[in-house]
Amino acid sequence: MNLLINREMDDLERAILITFDESGTIDSVLKSQAIEYCQRIKEIPTISCICAEHLFTSKFAQVQFWCLQCLHDAVRVRYSSSMSVEEKEFIRKSVFAMATYDGVDDNSKIFVRVLDSPAFIKNKLAQVLVNLIYYEYPLIWPTVFEDFINRLNRGAVVIDMFCRLLIALDDELISLDYPRNADEVAVAGRVKDTMREQCVPQIVRAWYEIIMAYKNSDSELCASVLDSMRRYISWIDIGLIANQVFIPLLFELILVGGLPEQLRSAAAGCVLAVVMKRMDSQAKLNLLKSLQINRVFGLINEETDVELLSSIATLLTGYAAEVLECAKRLNSEEGKRVSSELLEEVLPSVFYVMRRSEVDATFNTVQFLSGYVATMKNLSPLTEKQLVHVSQILEVIRAQICYDPIYRHHLDVLDKIGMEEEDRMLEYRKDLLVLLRSVGRVAPEVTQSFIQNSLSKAVDPTSERNVEEVEAALSLLYALGESLSDEAMKAGSGLLGVVLTLLSTRFPCHSNRLVALTYLETITRYMKYIQEKETIPKALEAFLDERGIRHPNIIVSRRASYLFMRIVKLLKSKLAPFIETILQKLHDVVVRFTSMSFSDKVMIEAEDGSHIFEAIGILIGMDSVPHQKQTHYLNSLLTPLCQQVKTLIENPEDSATNILIIQQIVVAINALSKGFNERLVIASRPDIGFMFKQTLDILLQILVVYPKVESLRSKVTSFIHRMVETLGVSVFPYLPKALEQLLAEIEPKELVGVIVLLNQLICKFNTKVLDIVDEVFPTIVTRVFSVLPLDEIPCGPGSITEDVREVQELQRTLFTFLNVIATHELSSVFISPNAREYFNPIMQLLLYSSCKHKDITVRKACVQIFIQLIKDWCTGSYGEEKVHGFQTFIVETFAVDCCLNSVLDKSFEFRDANSHALLGEIITAQKVIYEKFGDNFLSEFSKGLQAKHCSQEMAEQYYQKLQIAFSKDDMTIDVAYLILSPIIAPPFVHTGVNSGKQFCCFNMES
Amino acid sequence: MALPNQQTVDYPSFKLVLVGDGGTGKTTFVKRHLSGEFEKKYEPTIGVEVHPLDFHTNCGQIRFYCWDTAGQEKFGGLRDGYYIHGQCAIIMFDVTARLTYKNVPTWHRDLCRVCENIPIVLCGNKVDVKNRQVKAKQVTFHRKKNLQYYEISAKSNYNFEKPFLYLARKLAGDANLHFVESPALAPPEVQIDLAEQQRHEQELAVAAAQPLPDDDDDAFE
Repeated sequence: MNLLINREMDDLERAILITFDESGTIDSVLKSQAIEYCQRIKEIPTISCICAEHLFTSKFAQVQFWCLQCLHDAVRVRYSSSMSVEEKEFIRKSVFAMATYDGVDDNSKIFVRVLDSPAFIKNKLAQVLVNLIYYEYPLIWPTVFEDFINRLNRGAVVIDMFCRLLIALDDELISLDYPRNADEVAVAGRVKDTMREQCVPQIVRAWYEIIMAYKNSDSELCASVLDSMRRYISWIDIGLIANQVFIPLLFELILVGGLPEQLRSAAAGCVLAVVMKRMDSQAKLNLLKSLQINRVFGLINEETDVELLSSIATLLTGYAAEVLECAKRLNSEEGKRVSSELLEEVLPSVFYVMRRSEVDATFNTVQFLSGYVATMKNLSPLTEKQLVHVSQILEVIRAQICYDPIYRHHLDVLDKIGMEEEDRMLEYRKDLLVLLRSVGRVAPEVTQSFIQNSLSKAVDPTSERNVEEVEAALSLLYALGESLSDEAMKAGSGLLGVVLTLLSTRFPCHSNRLVALTYLETITRYMKYIQEKETIPKALEAFLDERGIRHPNIIVSRRASYLFMRIVKLLKSKLAPFIETILQKLHDVVVRFTSMSFSDKVMIEAEDGSHIFEAIGILIGMDSVPHQKQTHYLNSLLTPLCQQVKTLIENPEDSATNILIIQQIVVAINALSKGFNERLVIASRPDIGFMFKQTLDILLQILVVYPKVESLRSKVTSFIHRMVETLGVSVFPYLPKALEQLLAEIEPKELVGVIVLLNQLICKFNTKVLDIVDEVFPTIVTRVFSVLPLDEIPCGPGSITEDVREVQELQRTLFTFLNVIATHELSSVFISPNAREYFNPIMQLLLYSSCKHKDITVRKACVQIFIQLIKDWCTGSYGEEKVHGFQTFIVETFAVDCCLNSVLDKSFEFRDANSHALLGEIITAQKVIYEKFGDNFLSEFSKGLQAKHCSQEMAEQYYQKLQIAFSKDDMTIDVAYLILSPIIAPPFVHTGVNSGKQFCCFNMES
Repeated sequence: MALPNQQTVDYPSFKLVLVGDGGTGKTTFVKRHLSGEFEKKYEPTIGVEVHPLDFHTNCGQIRFYCWDTAGQEKFGGLRDGYYIHGQCAIIMFDVTARLTYKNVPTWHRDLCRVCENIPIVLCGNKVDVKNRQVKAKQVTFHRKKNLQYYEISAKSNYNFEKPFLYLARKLAGDANLHFVESPALAPPEVQIDLAEQQRHEQELAVAAAQPLPDDDDDAFE
């Protein structure tokens, strides 16, 4: 046997090396042979010996890694099943020997020592050891830690391995940062408990001794000791660390200048772990006080290295947060006094660190500051000191949200660097601005005057950072506005004044993109507070002149037109006196749309313009606009746009430009029409309605000329949606033609849009659209079924592909379609002669989906359809059929498959609210079936119960209870559950009983 | 350290390990760079596939050897064996599948066991899909471990370059390094709905603006 192994040894090494080789230079046949060879070796019963041998002899890291992986798998997969006691012992001994340099002197077979290999091999070895600990500690291998500690005197390499083991134990088993199953959690608890009892004090002593011995000679080793220690502090006795021996040592490591930053940071990490230890608040406060954290304040200065500074910042923030926590929890005077003293002491350093931008501790710091500010929200008035702190926090916020002037140009032209910086800043500002709003709530006056001052200072043109300061001040004002209440605005008229001044302000740097955008966003946000007649012209100016829509930067003018639309929506009737002015000012913007002379490029880059049209639509569509004027305005806008479409479709070209122009015009007209309501257009001013009808007629022509262009189809569809709302029933004459053209050359997957349109029609007009739906139904269903299976949508393993998503979307839309048809008194569509051939497939799909669809809401929709169909079609007594075979289908198939079997299936999750709603529908269905068919239903149902191996007696019982419940009209979900519970599979009964209470909460019927 | 097992080029090259649950779009992501199309079909990666991806920076050309590893254990091959000598990494999850985010810490741990102290980017893929399960504000893992986080959409090329740029900067030790020309990407399959993204962000802002809770829970949970 040994011989065989020896002879194969080189082959295995070679095979492993080939397996690892991804350079592409290995012949694929050879490679698959190698993989197969390795696989075969893995299945040899002596695989553990083979691995151990190679670990002691092979110099190749890949081979070592492979062998450790193999051992890990062997333990993982076979430990509890086929692994012999001898093999377990062999693995334990070999692995431990490798980890502790054992047998190095007396065993000549050993050429290689795993501990001399690269870090990743040692980590892998640690992983195997942890895996053994998982199974063997403490019952089989109680001495693992003590054995290791006894061998630490073999030197730094073994100590390093010990640290790796402790770190791996934390990562692989103990730490709460990873998802673990119940077994793993139980084992982790067992391991921690035993360690606490058995060896934690020894381990801590070992840590101390190692650090004392190596702190000046091997800082890396000490740093990894500290790193493993940091992970254990949360669950070991804190007294082992927080004492007169360890704490002075930790601070010494932090403070002694000569030591490497990595070691100093690691020591700071341990102190932080002590600070964060979960414990009683009074004990925690004593601990925090005893630390004398002010010892590290001196490190916060210009000379300190960034890595260390960032550790110190994290430590101080963590410390401050814990002090704050104590202050909140402790009620004693003494407790409050001490905690506020400690807080006073640490806060200046926290503020100071915040202003050093290179420190990457912002998140924690902001989080702490938010916590601190939150404690002030019930204090009124704030103390002098707190007000000082608040101002300091505001200063910090302003300093942090300012852009660096080196990005000024990039941000203005918005090149790649500018975009990146803007994204970064946007992300970075989020938490800071939340903090600002919190500050604004606890100290409104301080915040408002701070912002006011920032703005007036920023306007100073001599400041070098002018652009950035203006932008930052505006952003503060903008952000604050998000949280202001109406009362605050009325009362704190300070801000009102600021905004009013702002309306007539032109910053010297207004041409800057960011400044202009922030300016517009800010005045938009505050517009709702300043609607006085005198201020409106000023506001309009700001949007319509070169600060807004005429801003040289296209991004700004684009945004301005959107914001202008929002303002128009907000002020609406107040703008009536200004319509003429606004239209004049926007004339050239509008004309650009109707002139065909501009080049492609301008067209593609220009805004789609729809917001401007929407704004105009809202303005001229108001009832208060005199009829004659309204007709004139609308005519002057629609006529040229329609004319342009006509010209384009009379000489159709398939050029992208043409299509794009048409598309934009449709979008513009659509936006314009949004301002006109049905009452105005149809009842009081029919000539306006006539104009829209004419427009619809022309736009429908687009479908005839470009039947295959999906983008145009969807834009025209949107316009039809709009016209359905605007024209009401007057749109009917256009629908047959429109639908015909929409469906003419449509791909099945593009049907979603058309079906959604039909759903809108059905929901709005009910039975009035019977003929229309009846007409298109067969076409829709044929197309849909050409891509949609009658049962499940097949879907690959692991992930849902785009194809599947599209089909799912189509399927969902179809279900909605069928549901709205059934629930809007249109079920005759299903059985009309036109649709006869689709009846069976539809029923099949509905039945399957009502029982088995993965989406519970779809199941519900399908059950609702059946309920309606039963009501519609089963009107006579049993045996008299409106739809041949339907009654039998319901009583024998639907009632059993859906109302019973699908509920009993284990996929039915009773604790899920959606499933609960579904059960409600199923019960309604049972009730409806019972009402129509009485005993026929009950007897089929009890057959179904018996088929489920439900005893005759139980079926009988269910049958009776059901009958009683129905006759008393008392069939609620609770009753159903009670009746069902004896026959539902045991696992459910178990959870069901436990969650009985919860069950009642979900009861939807009353 | 010189990379074993790889043909060399005369400009700097780095081994990049790409990990994450099966179906999160790792293969689709690396293939965006190549001539290949967006893969609609899902075919699990067996073991590993190595793609050399070149980028042009202001400091010259660089190459990432992208080791696209199998996300599903049953197609494992050498599993963490592929991470050996990795110099940087991307951990991918799918924002439409919560479990894939839950497993991120495990991928991170397995990676760090083999590659200590390498720059790592966390990527939330498929942000183009409307039905998100993992919202941006729920992604916090990167903060704990000091990783960079990007939301990407392999399908629309959204943020495709970002992870590579971050890694290139870290590896070069030059925070101002930038790409001078865009790599040839396959055309986007969908346009990422910027309005939708903005809405997401607005929602986030609105959520963040909620008044501070009255109990002791902090506003960042």
